[in-house]
Amino acid sequence: MLIESFMSALIETLLSPWGLLLAALGALLGIILGALPGVSSTMALAILLPLSFSMDAHLAILFLLCVFVASVYGGSISAILINIPGTPGAIVTQLDGHPMAKAGKAREALVYALVASTVGGAFGLGLLVMTAPLLATVAMSFRSPEFAAVAVFGLVLLAYASPGTTVRGLLVGAIGLICGMVGFDTLTDVPRFTFDTRTLQGGVELVPLCVGLFGLAEVLKHLHASHQAAPAVSIQATQRSQLKVRALLKRWKSMLRGSLIGAFVGAIPAAGSAIAVAIAYAQEVRFSKHPEQFGQGAVEGVVAPEAANSSSIGGTMIPMMTLGVPGDAITAVLMGSLLIHGLRPGPMLFAENPHIVSSIYAGFFIALLLTLIIGLLLMRWLPLILRIPSHVLLIGIALLCVVGAYAIRNSMADVYIMLFFGALGYLLHLLSLPSAPLAFGLILGPLLEENLRRSLILGRGSWDIFLHSPIAMSLFALSIFATALPLLAPLWVRLKSDLQRMKVPF
Amino acid sequence: MKAPHLIISSTLLLSLLWTAPLLADDFPEKPINIVVPWPTGGAYDLAARLMAEHASHTFSVPLVVQNVTGAAGSTGVRHVADATADGYTIGVMGTHAIAQSYMNPNATALDDLTPLVFIGPEPAALAVTQDADIDDVAAYLDTLNEAPGSVINGNDSPGGFSYIAATMLENQFDVELTKIPYQGYAPTVSALLSGEVMSALLPIPLLADQHAAGQLRLLGVAAQERHPFTPEVPTFQEQGYDFIAEDFFMLYLPGDVPEERRNKLAEMFYALLQDASFQEAASDIGLMIQPRPQDETARYLEQRADEVYDILAASGLVDDSLTR
Repeated sequence: MLIESFMSALIETLLSPWGLLLAALGALLGIILGALPGVSSTMALAILLPLSFSMDAHLAILFLLCVFVASVYGGSISAILINIPGTPGAIVTQLDGHPMAKAGKAREALVYALVASTVGGAFGLGLLVMTAPLLATVAMSFRSPEFAAVAVFGLVLLAYASPGTTVRGLLVGAIGLICGMVGFDTLTDVPRFTFDTRTLQGGVELVPLCVGLFGLAEVLKHLHASHQAAPAVSIQATQRSQLKVRALLKRWKSMLRGSLIGAFVGAIPAAGSAIAVAIAYAQEVRFSKHPEQFGQGAVEGVVAPEAANSSSIGGTMIPMMTLGVPGDAITAVLMGSLLIHGLRPGPMLFAENPHIVSSIYAGFFIALLLTLIIGLLLMRWLPLILRIPSHVLLIGIALLCVVGAYAIRNSMADVYIMLFFGALGYLLHLLSLPSAPLAFGLILGPLLEENLRRSLILGRGSWDIFLHSPIAMSLFALSIFATALPLLAPLWVRLKSDLQRMKVPF
Repeated sequence: MKAPHLIISSTLLLSLLWTAPLLADDFPEKPINIVVPWPTGGAYDLAARLMAEHASHTFSVPLVVQNVTGAAGSTGVRHVADATADGYTIGVMGTHAIAQSYMNPNATALDDLTPLVFIGPEPAALAVTQDADIDDVAAYLDTLNEAPGSVINGNDSPGGFSYIAATMLENQFDVELTKIPYQGYAPTVSALLSGEVMSALLPIPLLADQHAAGQLRLLGVAAQERHPFTPEVPTFQEQGYDFIAEDFFMLYLPGDVPEERRNKLAEMFYALLQDASFQEAASDIGLMIQPRPQDETARYLEQRADEVYDILAASGLVDDSLTR
């Protein structure tokens, strides 16, 4: 029944030239806007929202879904090529994507990202179509204590996920946690660490921090290096390196893990893609056999988070479609646009407008296909970007950093914050400290603080509330396991060799 | 930063004085910015975007919606207050701006804003979870009277509308809720659906569908009349309790926009809000449009400010430097 109406909605759209044209336009605009630093998926949708007002409802949904899906992939383009995440969902893609590009494998990295996005997106869509009500129930069992446990688990994983020693990662991560406390306290609205200035009242947003920490710091690094007459910006090799389909297929496990994490974290209301990618990346590093390769251009470091951010699209739509609650800021915009067309996503939509539900699913599917096709077509232009002389590119990047930081909230304060973190990122580079844990701390810190405190209020000050939650307890157990792994691993190896030795005499 | 600002504004001022009579006739001659202090997709944003969409009926220039967010809405309000007072920057605000002006010494004082046009009220309804086994307002109050603090209520952080609404309920009926703060309406609704909290006072469009689907139960509408989205849910007054809690949408200008322009804007927006196609689109998404002219808007804001101040003062939330 569902499949049938899904197919009919799909064919209907595919056969209407107008719909297909709009969808292609949406995907193209989505990729471009997503690739622009500072224009997040949320903003890409908000910018193009007015265009959709005059369209028919089902075309408007199709158009916006294409923008949404494409912008999530688009974010990885700037992450890989110029080391600035285009969207918050791409903040970890550059950790390995950019080193790949520097090693002359820009095209490969982009294709990996694109394929992983498509696979992840399809996975998320599959879950949305098949198990939306079920997964929504499971996601709803995530309340404040479980959320706090997720944040703890994420922080434990991330402590190990940074290149270099764990202590250095923890040190920088702690700075990130403190940055997450700047601004209004989430539970009481009391300003903290604002030094009585207006600039800091709005807190430290993730996007300006990342744009400064990764983008501007990169520019500063190259300015410094250019004194030594080293070739400035990245990406020398523009030759067509042979793409290894087999190498990509070998990463199916990473993609699957990333997709699972993305879809599930996305389905928890108020989590969002930045948290999904942070956890997806961290678990890849933590449970990898070659953690030392991460940060140097490990393929898993690109495909897992890219699969996660795309599959979180389907994930975030689950609470929107089944409960009428937007899963994150992006789905809030999507929901707003549906509202303007007189459609209120939520429990009644399935009952009252089942064909709209089908056309949302079909639109999502078309968006994935078109993003793949247009993404591959755009690769042709890649050499043109790569051929831009480095000094021009550096100026361009610096400019994009400033504009991007301003654009996210229309605020000069964010530009100053971006500049500050640009300088800090450069300083960390000089001290050979990793800068990524700072961003991770900023994502997970407020999540942990808000939910921990809320759990304690709910438990009337008692920690018992965590004991009553099996999910939270399992997550804590996992965290302890992940921490103890380096201690246990040698024991395990010794035990195994002992056993073998014991066998030898017989 | 300051010096060029000064030069620009003084030049602008001079040229304004010089050409004032001429300009007044042409106003508006470029797009007008509507500043929304909350992110895209919320009710404030939708109201502004609907106005922008229907502006062509009554406006000669386009309206451009700009989201300036952060610091519980006070960043957006300050953005408007600091903008050039030429009438090309207009803000949308509600209860949050009043609360912030008393709680946060860095927020814009209400005196620095000029009310322009009242758009409409946004009434709240009291919702409880299905498991709570409470059928009407009387049962809800009984539960609270028997065991003060036994109902866990989800709301904004202090200063947000749903926090103020919950406090109003406590004050009016002399009961005590356990108030748990959430970051905005969407997380509050999820907490209600997941059963983490037992009740919440929130704008009706956010709850109507879930009520119809049986995921939660609406006990009463805190307004004079029932809401078109939930015609079967009685008001508090119908159940014998005189309780009204509503947020509102209002347009305002920076302090010293020339009177002529202010009047012109008030007139234009008032006409836009009465436009039939705008009203239809607004009622489709559950917004109540009840425009009021400039002077009535100013009076409404004063009344609400007094009310909110009293609630905040009683809860000890007014900043020491901002007491009346």
